[in-house]
Amino acid sequence: MSETPIKIKISALLARLVVGGVFVYAGAVKALAPAEEFAYAIETYKVVGPKLALLAANVMPWVEVYAGLLLAAGVFTAPLALFNLAMLAFFELLLGQAWLRGLPITSCGCFGAGGSTSISQEFLQNLCLMCLAWVAFKFGRHWSVDQACAPAPEAGDAA
Amino acid sequence: MTDKSTARRLGIAAALIFLSTVALLLGRQFSLGPIRPAPDWRTFGPPEAPVQIQEFTDFACPACRMAAGKIDEMMRVFGPGLHVSFKHYPLLNIHPWSLDAAAYADCAGEQGKFKAYADLLFEGQEKWGLAKAPPPEFADYAKRLKLDWAAMQVCARSEATKKRLRTDIAEGDLRGVTATPTFFINGRRAVGAAQLIDQAMKFDNILREAAKK
Repeated sequence: MSETPIKIKISALLARLVVGGVFVYAGAVKALAPAEEFAYAIETYKVVGPKLALLAANVMPWVEVYAGLLLAAGVFTAPLALFNLAMLAFFELLLGQAWLRGLPITSCGCFGAGGSTSISQEFLQNLCLMCLAWVAFKFGRHWSVDQACAPAPEAGDAA
Repeated sequence: MTDKSTARRLGIAAALIFLSTVALLLGRQFSLGPIRPAPDWRTFGPPEAPVQIQEFTDFACPACRMAAGKIDEMMRVFGPGLHVSFKHYPLLNIHPWSLDAAAYADCAGEQGKFKAYADLLFEGQEKWGLAKAPPPEFADYAKRLKLDWAAMQVCARSEATKKRLRTDIAEGDLRGVTATPTFFINGRRAVGAAQLIDQAMKFDNILREAAKK
């Protein structure tokens, strides 16, 4: 049973906090704004119709907040890190197809209607977040609620 | 042992979800979300003014007409201290033509005459407000202001205009607007002209100081 190096533990904690924090922020900004605003941003990707876009706009911000918060706290860390990774991969697909099709997207909708960067920047930013989510999946169990709640013999082992 | 650990984690997860939901719902109630700017033609006064007023209005509502007069007066007295943004909140269940009026006002705004057209809409609200058929006043006002009526009709039917209006209404719903006019004066809610004056009095010193500059 080998001990995980402290550097990896710190990196994993930071990865969890960054990915979780970004999701909480992105979700909260959208949950506090009219859903229609985010729905119009979703429509510009030309993947779903207005009704589905509005449904997604009503649901997604809350999912992002919950998933981000639980990951940051380290509750069910591995499944939550995977779930966040899957969401990021899905966003990446949406951004990628818009980029390839040259769609005139002025706001990606990632952080609400305002404060959007270009699609290519959002694409790269998502890639970085995906890497961090993977680190959180692999090593994120340290210094987490999971670890605190684990039975004593498992408390100090490697990921 | 593992069941106990899973149960504890489930409990913590449920508590976090509950607390974050309450926090966000409270945030909505207190309008803590990002401020959605109104289009330029619906904003008046310097953007950096110390007192920011957002008004959710309906052109067919008599109280909104009264409040519009008060806002004009405040703009005259405290000009540099005030920044006013208008948001549309047509009460569709009682004012059948309010949404059209809002759309035409925005389209007049695109031609640079939102305020003049809005004033005419308020002035004539008794004529068109409860009309049974599409009111001819909308076109009359456009002609009086020498606006391009054909362009206004195209604009009013456009998806961009409809989206802008729907988003205004959704924002009003989200911020708990149920009556018009509803104002947010530096974030503080006021309903009707009397409450507007009452709230604005709290910023009296700031307004007077800004007006002197």
